[in-house]
Amino acid sequence: MNLSKDMRILIVDDFSTMRRIVKNLLNDLGYTNTAEADDGTTALTALHQSHFDFVVTDWNMPGMTGIDLLKAIRADDKLKHLPVLMVTAEAKREQIIDAAQAGVNGYIIKPFTAQTLEEKLAKIFERFGATA
Amino acid sequence: MDTAPAPVTPQERRAALVEHLRVALDAFERGDETTLRQKIDTLVAWRARPLVEGLRRLSRELGDALGNLPAPESASADGVSSDELEDACARLDHVVVTTEQASHRTLDLADRCRALTDTLKTAGPLDQAQAQAVTELRANLSELVLAQSYQDLTGQIIRRVATILRRLNENFASLGLKPHAEPAESGKGASDLAGPAVANLDHDAFSQNDADELLSGLGL
Repeated sequence: MNLSKDMRILIVDDFSTMRRIVKNLLNDLGYTNTAEADDGTTALTALHQSHFDFVVTDWNMPGMTGIDLLKAIRADDKLKHLPVLMVTAEAKREQIIDAAQAGVNGYIIKPFTAQTLEEKLAKIFERFGATA
Repeated sequence: MDTAPAPVTPQERRAALVEHLRVALDAFERGDETTLRQKIDTLVAWRARPLVEGLRRLSRELGDALGNLPAPESASADGVSSDELEDACARLDHVVVTTEQASHRTLDLADRCRALTDTLKTAGPLDQAQAQAVTELRANLSELVLAQSYQDLTGQIIRRVATILRRLNENFASLGLKPHAEPAESGKGASDLAGPAVANLDHDAFSQNDADELLSGLGL
């Protein structure tokens, strides 16, 4: 798995402003190879059409939600090892546990800071580096 | 439902009630099921009448209150706004769209300013103070971009309120109090989620630190 600065990242959020903000922050951190999707269904299509190294997804989206996208990724033999970072306004204990049980690799609660994003990315890379 | 004029005084109500019960009992003893059922329906309708009247008044007051809001562009354009609740939802949708446009405008300008800071850097050697100023400008631009994320959070809250209003609208319609109401969109899986936490309202919301602790406890 490619976790270097040129890794390909899929940003999934129904709000175009949030997609842009995440993209902007990732650019600031040196990750410029990004694509966008506006819900779980379009994200899955994109994941099947071309190669991605990382997924950043919102939870609450019309159509397919982020948690269903996560479950679909984990249930797919080709995609199941893909790191998924959830960036969501959902701040309830049960939801965080649901996401963890569904196999999320990181969880960021909106509103968040650039520093939080950097920290969570670093933590995920560290784990993947350790297991690789 | 019974369409006879409602008894006005408590004495009249009582007398009417006694009469209905007497007829019902008589019908029961005679095995006259049609009359019995008719009387029971009348009694049930009586019981429900204050409730229905209350709902009707609530529906009217809500309509009046919403009608007093400034009209959204969409409603004045086509001139038809048969349903105040749907109209209120349209206003909320409008807020989401407008703030989204404003956020994009801000993001466009932030992008342009970032490009300008690059131009400054490549334009020539900067002295220390200038270089520091450019660095601070870039940091401020990043913060400015991040601050736009509130459009998404407020937008989510507004969409939720619109969903509640649409459901209310649907419920009034099913009670026959809003005969021209459109049926609301079918429920989505996401509507069960709490959405963005609001300070002072959502006491059980987790902070990033809470979430980190919880996740590390789960081995993440």
